[in-house]
Amino acid sequence: MATLALASGCTSNVKLGVDQDFPEVVAKPRDLSATLVMDDAFRTYVADPTKNIQVQFGPAQVDLMTKAFRGLFAEVKVVSSKAQAGSGTDLVIVPSVREVQLSTPSDSYLNVYEVWIKYNLDIETADGVPIDSWFLPAYGKTPYSYMLSRTTAIEEATVIALRDAGAKLMLDFYRIPAINGWMQRRQATLAEP
Amino acid sequence: MRHPTPHPFPALLLAVLALAGCASTTTVDEYRPTTEPIDIGQEERVAILGRRDAGHYETDRGFMNCLAGKMNRAKFRVMSEEEFIDALYPWFEPRTAPKHLERLKRLMRDPVIQAKVKQEKIRYLVWLDGEVETHGMSGAMSCGMGPSGAGCFGYTTWDKNAMFEAIVWDLVDLTEEARIRVDSEGTSYVIGIVAPIPLLTPVKSQACDGMGKQLRSYFEHIQEDVG
Repeated sequence: MATLALASGCTSNVKLGVDQDFPEVVAKPRDLSATLVMDDAFRTYVADPTKNIQVQFGPAQVDLMTKAFRGLFAEVKVVSSKAQAGSGTDLVIVPSVREVQLSTPSDSYLNVYEVWIKYNLDIETADGVPIDSWFLPAYGKTPYSYMLSRTTAIEEATVIALRDAGAKLMLDFYRIPAINGWMQRRQATLAEP
Repeated sequence: MRHPTPHPFPALLLAVLALAGCASTTTVDEYRPTTEPIDIGQEERVAILGRRDAGHYETDRGFMNCLAGKMNRAKFRVMSEEEFIDALYPWFEPRTAPKHLERLKRLMRDPVIQAKVKQEKIRYLVWLDGEVETHGMSGAMSCGMGPSGAGCFGYTTWDKNAMFEAIVWDLVDLTEEARIRVDSEGTSYVIGIVAPIPLLTPVKSQACDGMGKQLRSYFEHIQEDVG
């Protein structure tokens, strides 16, 4: 009976939601505008990194992406589909989750929970000309898992991974060679008499 | 009626082991580039931040909480790690935090970050790094349960070493104000005489005490002078 209870405890399904408000970013946005397309699939995203663990972080990633892009662009419009993007914008950015991975102490023999989130950002001009499809990897781990329940530890690692995605975005977005090239071309066009 | 006098030896042995078990050696080393006192205004705050960029460990969270507790009782204002990293998001995340003074100087050239530091009145940043390591585990203990009762017999022992370093950066003058290193080591025991008796060495709290006192002395000294 005890063995059965233990065995069922080990294979229980865990469904958890990450409900987190992220801080506003400290950055001076460039004098550019962007339309951020976050569809329903992105807004309600539920990752299933293992057979019996589901992590819902759609609303959290919408909050994070909105705040991070507000630190990059002076004007950010958030829409649910590309059709709503319109033409009065410099860039149209469509984020999507490519993959989510989870490592638990039983996988890694380390006393930490780790989460990897792999994002893809499809970036194009308002006319629909593709600029780049940028791969944005993010990583988060819990400091300790001794005192944490499994759900709390996974939640914490996911929040840290999301914060890392925001940090990488702020650090590297304008360093993307294709974005850099687009900005130079744009400046040259604006400078033309 | 005569009562048997308890033999003093077991109690004495336990007391000696307890004292020896709880003993730890703590060394506090400090380096300051100047003998000038650390200048802090009444409204200015000291932020505490643990290094989280190492792959295999993070600065011990228990130690951070302990040190924050010690500092909170001080006369100057302390900003928690969470509040600090949120206020300056995303520039002190594991991926972006400046590891050296040169990187901090580069970061602080950004007028938006500079303004935010000023607005939040963050004057000093205490960078903490370190962990507690356990090694040299030996001995054996076995526990059993039978119809007449349960018990543990034997002993086990291990050494603990806590090493923490704090670097104090001035976020206004962009200088390193102090560097403190605390090493604390000791041996812990668990003796099984029917019930397991733990005799644990508080290396972490000893290191926290040492570092807390040292850090407070830097800032409180000047507060008294200013006041």
